[in-house]
Amino acid sequence: MTLTAEAILALAPDDASAKAARGLLAPAKWPLLGASDAAVWGECSGSGAKPYQTQVDLAGPSFNCSCPSRKFPCKHGLALLLLRAQEAQRFSAAEPPAWVTEWLVSRAEKAQRKEERQSEKVATPVDPHASARRETQRWTRIETAAQELQRWLADQIGRGFGTLNSAVLQTWHTMAARMVDAQAPGLGTRVREAAAGVHQGDDWPAQTLRRLGMLQLLCEAVSRRATLSPDVQADLRGAVGWPHDQADVLADGEWVVDRWTVLGCVVEERADKLAERRVWLHGERSGRRAWLLEHAFGGRGFETAWLPGSGVSATMAFFPGASGLRALAADIVGPAALPRWPVEPLHDEWLRIARRVALCPWTSTHPLVVRDAVPLRRGSAFLVVAEGRALPLAIGEPDAWRLHAIAGGHPLQLMGEWDGQRFAALTAWRDDTGGAVWTRSAT
Amino acid sequence: MSAEFMPLVPTAMLGTDREAASPLIWPGEVGQLTAQLLQAQVSDDGAATRVLRVAAVLASCSIAGAHGAEWTDPLPDAARDETLAAADDGSLPALLAWALQHSSAHLHFEVCLLLARAGRRLPEALLPQALELGRRSTHLRLALASVIGERGVWLATQREDWSFAAGVSVEADIETRWSDGSFEQRIALLHEERASAPDAMRARLVASMDDMSAKERAAFAALLVERISMNDEPLLERLRADRSRDVRQAALDLLLRLPDAAHVQRAITRMAPLLQQERALLRKRWVIDAPAAPGADWKDANLDTPRPKNDSLGERAWWLYQLVRQVPLTWWTRHVGMTAVELLEWAGKTDWSEALWRGWRDVLFAAPDAEWCDAFLDHWPAPLPARDRDTVLGLLPAASRERHWLTRLRDDRESVAAVVSQAIAVCAAGESLSLAMSTAFADGLSERVSRGQIDDYTLRPALTALAATLHPDLLDRIADWPRSGSETPAFLDVMHDVTQIIAVRRALRTLTTPRRS
Repeated sequence: MTLTAEAILALAPDDASAKAARGLLAPAKWPLLGASDAAVWGECSGSGAKPYQTQVDLAGPSFNCSCPSRKFPCKHGLALLLLRAQEAQRFSAAEPPAWVTEWLVSRAEKAQRKEERQSEKVATPVDPHASARRETQRWTRIETAAQELQRWLADQIGRGFGTLNSAVLQTWHTMAARMVDAQAPGLGTRVREAAAGVHQGDDWPAQTLRRLGMLQLLCEAVSRRATLSPDVQADLRGAVGWPHDQADVLADGEWVVDRWTVLGCVVEERADKLAERRVWLHGERSGRRAWLLEHAFGGRGFETAWLPGSGVSATMAFFPGASGLRALAADIVGPAALPRWPVEPLHDEWLRIARRVALCPWTSTHPLVVRDAVPLRRGSAFLVVAEGRALPLAIGEPDAWRLHAIAGGHPLQLMGEWDGQRFAALTAWRDDTGGAVWTRSAT
Repeated sequence: MSAEFMPLVPTAMLGTDREAASPLIWPGEVGQLTAQLLQAQVSDDGAATRVLRVAAVLASCSIAGAHGAEWTDPLPDAARDETLAAADDGSLPALLAWALQHSSAHLHFEVCLLLARAGRRLPEALLPQALELGRRSTHLRLALASVIGERGVWLATQREDWSFAAGVSVEADIETRWSDGSFEQRIALLHEERASAPDAMRARLVASMDDMSAKERAAFAALLVERISMNDEPLLERLRADRSRDVRQAALDLLLRLPDAAHVQRAITRMAPLLQQERALLRKRWVIDAPAAPGADWKDANLDTPRPKNDSLGERAWWLYQLVRQVPLTWWTRHVGMTAVELLEWAGKTDWSEALWRGWRDVLFAAPDAEWCDAFLDHWPAPLPARDRDTVLGLLPAASRERHWLTRLRDDRESVAAVVSQAIAVCAAGESLSLAMSTAFADGLSERVSRGQIDDYTLRPALTALAATLHPDLLDRIADWPRSGSETPAFLDVMHDVTQIIAVRRALRTLTTPRRS
């Protein structure tokens, strides 16, 4: 599958990198360009005497460059892929030079070593008592914090939202910080989100009740943790902000080998230069939905690209839990191929969500595929209408207009994130075997 | 809205310390559960906790059971099928997106013109960007109209400030386009009709004149410039008395192109007595005087423009200026037997020089004349603003215009920055510089580019504008300009834009019209 210029530029860690990459497309900048089925490579003239050696492993794609940039992928890697997409005939070299072969071999070795380490870790006995003791200590701290939070929640409802002002809201932030101190950052985040929603929009009291209600549910679940099933306990652990160790997930998680269609991918800027990427996948044979959640700091970007509307053969290791959504990509095989989009009717999609909520009520964002959806504008709001239901569209205006232009009032297939109230569309496509015709831009 | 929470909201707002949350009823199984929770009498559970538990149930159940709001309205009309193919070959969409977002108005025009020439339309995803450009630039709207396709026309109906592009289907018949089309579609229609059937176009204007706004009357009347003839005189006479000042001025400007028109003849009759030939020793010379008072018929002749309070012309000079503005330039050269250059010099020796120069300049703007343009450019009268030079240059045919710049470049190689700025300022939308001019600029700039140091603040932005106006045959050469390895960041930015502009222009030139199946 050939990457489009738009898809490549979407991999850029920031606008400056994308712009700089476009500035490197002049032929004179690239004395050497080559490509094979597995990789593309090139030498790019920089400010030094020696050109930068840039290479991209097409399985992924994954980037490597000899330039000193801390950004990932760097402008040279992006420019190399852009050149490949726009002027493939310039990639005349077919035999990879030593530096390319060495890198590809080293990648393979690294993957091998990772697998071995994984096996070793599984084989290496850990002190079960020490581990259990640490776990018990942390749960104790979380339980104490949850009790304190529950009392605080009751105080807020007792006093009423009518008394909320900036001074009172400051105490909400103090409570959020206490939850972080008690090693329950998930609770802290939910308190902060509730504080941020106060006085926002006409229905803020109802929304605040909804948020505090979910916090109450979490606190009560923490206090009754021992009575819950292991899967729900695992979800609870994630919800309070105690992430499962990725190595453990790779070692103990459920592995699903499949060809995964990338349903959607969104990168959002969080505070302190933290970028969050959410990737939604659909397993073609298993019918499973998978959610990859990654973070990158300081514009470093993400090592592997997930292009909406592509099909990837990969093994997913699922995190423990009843919701069965969050996963890690354990192994990716071969370059991106054409997608095979899910074709379930909307009714089945709602059923999936209802079942997931029944198993794990703390799942706040669900993947939703809406077939034959017509984007509409009603007043100043954007909607999508499908099967006699209207979902409010929660995307920025430029993205909404672009989607509107592409649909032209005709139905198309949409995938997005559903929070029970608003549909944040991520990807649109027309044919079940064709690529994406629209993707939401990074925010 | 979160309707399911509404029964709880009054209690939540006032607080359970003051308002008990009962009796509250929700339907179905959810209602049974919430009722149980509200009535639960666990020892340490207060009313607040009960409310929170109900909120927890509602929050979970509402997400589990949510499936949007019911929609029973009919769906609005969708866009019609396209008749033009989208310009979506290879990397073209990405290049077009860049061009619409980052480049100059000149490239926007070229994008539209070349797409229209190839019978293509903009890809759908770029339409919001394109309509937004049209919203900001009224000049671009006409060019955009031919490349937004049916989808663009439909999209324009979805947003008030894009309605300029709404109108009717691009395939609609001529009468529908005239009666229901957008302003830009009506302009395009009149333009086409004027070229093929000028009388029909005029008749259409006359028939609809009473229903038009002043903006429409002024814009549509200006289209009469194409193939103007004495047949247009009655309409122009009518427009000369229009209630809108812009319409009156448009008609007066057009009448200057009809030396035999009655209005022009009357203007000449007013002017002639002020210009006398007197004998000085053995030679005869022309002298001019300004009117001593306005004539009785001046108001009817549109000569009643009041003098601005701080104008540099005195009252009599102002009256003379008004008279000069209504007399075609050819009358002067014929009547006094002098060339345009000689007339400009002669005017400088009179007491009324500024009134004459300003009047002639205005006539030149309304009815361009190559001899007078050259005369003005070679002997620019000091009292006239220097910026008017660019306008005069823009009136010349490209070849004559470029002669001025090539001479200047030959005489002063360092003037390249100034000349480039001038050249791009007057290069009309959709036009390119000639090959000779482009080559001269490229030669003048290539060495500076290879050094990687364009340190001239005016030249840096001019370089990108130049890339958008250069002759297409020069594009390959510019793309291969030798580059220095030690370019400054500012220069890198400029060259990035230059590279992109060249890529866009080259890609557009390879576009072909797809065969319809």
